[in-house]
Amino acid sequence: MIDFSRVQKELQDCEKDKDASNIRVCPKSDNLTRLTGTIPGPIGTPYEGGTFQIDITIPEGYPFEPPKMQFSTKVWHPNISSQSGAICLDVLKDQWSPALTLKTALVSIQALLSAPEPKDPQDAVVAEQYIKSYQVFVSTARYWTETFAKNSSIEEKVKRLVEMGFGDAQVRSAIESSGGDENMALEKLCSG
Amino acid sequence: MGDLLSGDDEDYYYSDQESLDGLDNEESCLQPLSSKANTAKVITKESLLAAQREDLRRVMELLSIKEHHARTLLIHYRWDVENLFAVLVEKGKDSLFSSAGLAVVENQRCGASSFSHSSVMSCDICIEDVPGNQMTRMDCGHCFCNTCWAGHFTVKINEGQSKRIRCMAHKCNSICDEDVVKTLVSKSQPHLAEKFDRFLLESYIEDNKMVKWCPSTPHCGSAIRVEDDELCEVECSCGFQFCFSCSSQAHSPCSCLMWELWKKKCQDESETVNWITVHTKPCPKCYKPVEKNGGCNLVTCICGQSFCWLCGGATGRDHTWSSIAGHSCGRYQEDKEKQMERAKRDLYRYMHYHNRYKAHIDSAKLEDKLSDTIREKVSISEKRQLQLKDFSWVTNGLHRLIRSRRVLSYSYPFAFYMFGEELFKDEMSSEEREIKQNLFEDQQQQLEANVEKLSKFLEEPFDQFADEKVMEIRIQIINLSVAVDTLCKKMYECIENDLLGSLQLGIHNIAPYRSKGIERASDFYSSRNSEEPVGELCQPSDCGTSGWTSGFDQALGSANSEETSCSSRKRPRKDGSYSNTQTSLLDLNLPAEVTERK
Repeated sequence: MIDFSRVQKELQDCEKDKDASNIRVCPKSDNLTRLTGTIPGPIGTPYEGGTFQIDITIPEGYPFEPPKMQFSTKVWHPNISSQSGAICLDVLKDQWSPALTLKTALVSIQALLSAPEPKDPQDAVVAEQYIKSYQVFVSTARYWTETFAKNSSIEEKVKRLVEMGFGDAQVRSAIESSGGDENMALEKLCSG
Repeated sequence: MGDLLSGDDEDYYYSDQESLDGLDNEESCLQPLSSKANTAKVITKESLLAAQREDLRRVMELLSIKEHHARTLLIHYRWDVENLFAVLVEKGKDSLFSSAGLAVVENQRCGASSFSHSSVMSCDICIEDVPGNQMTRMDCGHCFCNTCWAGHFTVKINEGQSKRIRCMAHKCNSICDEDVVKTLVSKSQPHLAEKFDRFLLESYIEDNKMVKWCPSTPHCGSAIRVEDDELCEVECSCGFQFCFSCSSQAHSPCSCLMWELWKKKCQDESETVNWITVHTKPCPKCYKPVEKNGGCNLVTCICGQSFCWLCGGATGRDHTWSSIAGHSCGRYQEDKEKQMERAKRDLYRYMHYHNRYKAHIDSAKLEDKLSDTIREKVSISEKRQLQLKDFSWVTNGLHRLIRSRRVLSYSYPFAFYMFGEELFKDEMSSEEREIKQNLFEDQQQQLEANVEKLSKFLEEPFDQFADEKVMEIRIQIINLSVAVDTLCKKMYECIENDLLGSLQLGIHNIAPYRSKGIERASDFYSSRNSEEPVGELCQPSDCGTSGWTSGFDQALGSANSEETSCSSRKRPRKDGSYSNTQTSLLDLNLPAEVTERK
């Protein structure tokens, strides 16, 4: 039996400080067994600026069994499968404790993005690149972030740029003319 | 087979020794003066708890801790009490406890009872407010509600982690109190609590290097505990004899590794070898085995060489139906030494050893049947009006024969590896190997000859002989028994000291020779008067030497006081192999259960 009341409480808790943590958990369906987590790429890493979505499945024994998590956004990282998004992280396996929550697990994943462990890889190809040619790894990871982790909806981009103080119509045309690239649109807005 | 082990036989054995005085001194004079009872114990489902308690008691007394804490410690230290005590002395109590995930016991005992009904607390797991009396605090100080604890335990027990259920708090390495686990789980799932109990009990067997399940198939349900030395052979109460260190059938004087290799080789090769020897002949040119696929006796190998199927000799291609040209093998010729290819030599070498190994195994099986005949002959003789009334020398002789037959058969796989190139190629020069091989083979031959003689005399129809003739046979059998025993002992010594002892690699050890055959493990309770838990038996024993040793010896109580050695000392390599034999042991062993490999 899944303890839904705990999941419910966790969701509320997450909602409360989503601005501080930037971590979100939203139910995919009504029965709370499938959720989507969202974490921002940590600053100072090739994942900076990206928004990563994680599929969460709540197992029968939750919270005594760890939640199943896997990236739905494609990521280039030694401990995350570039194919399936499977995550190699101890707290999601034998180090899981019922005292941990979905949010703390997501925080751990975020920490994993900042501190890869190539010696215990999930994706051997990525890990090898990380060890042998770190610069190539960084640019690949950044490219993947650009390509897969930044396809936020036009509305979100508009919202962000409007918040910076630009006019709504102006922003929309800038985004449109720069092919959906938020940074390019910002440059356009600033320069002109 | 089982009849041989009956008490009657043992009685014969004893009275025989008394009556023979000078004649049969083989058993009595070779025994050390140790009063040690046999050390291996059979642990059955029923005695498992008591066996575990003994060790628990020692740890509980010394550290003055509760049983479940002692168990947690012992599980962590794999039931090696000496090692646990060594860690205690070396690193202190705190380190001992924390490494085993045991919260330091001093700061606990503010347990569940300290919460009242009225106080409401929040459980961090289900994030609910729960009345204080439904919360439980573990020894580590973490406190959660009973429902959550039970949920956690259920998942862990089902995962098979009963032995080390950690606290629910993140990064808390504390092991949960087994009593709390049992209480909370049994409320909702009694069967799971039972499972948990069983896992804890069986940990004593599974995690303990001095205890092993009897490897009999179908499994008899018992386990065997040894003292001191893991390098030994034991017989379970079910009758299965096995090597304690590798859990396969008893195989000394073969080392465990040798036996492992031999078993595999026999499985891999015996069928092939049989088929090849029956159906093929080696080509005289390339030595590959060739199968005959037609009626003609001139066979051509794939290498192009033709040869005669009848004699295996090379021929030319000119032949007729009636004669093979340029070749007449019908005439008898002295077999010339042929240069054989290595593969063929190896195969023959293996076949040589295997044939002899198998021959002795087969003889042992037949001699097994001999025991019935002999019993009959003895009962006939006893009814006859003879001077001699005691016929235990026959049974003794038979047991000696069976035991030494076993030794003899396993000495062949030993020799196969000892003097082969597979294991010790770089250990000996070929001259050295030759000398050693001769030394060994001399002993082996002597043993073999005496065993065969003994076998022959035992088959004599002594029940039809006159007094004088019976006496003569009796002396022969007794003398041969002594000789065979001495030869076995010498062979073991030679193997231990001169052959294996001189090797650089120390991985080959053999179980010591036991004149009386493989030790039969006694029932765990056999040395006790009652099945009372050890706790009741706290009399000081006289075997303690130092301060804390005597502390836990006391804990062992009288139940174990005859087991004088508390140390885990290894058997010194060059020790006289008789040091482990015991006077009080009267088991009469049979050859190892030998499964015929085809």
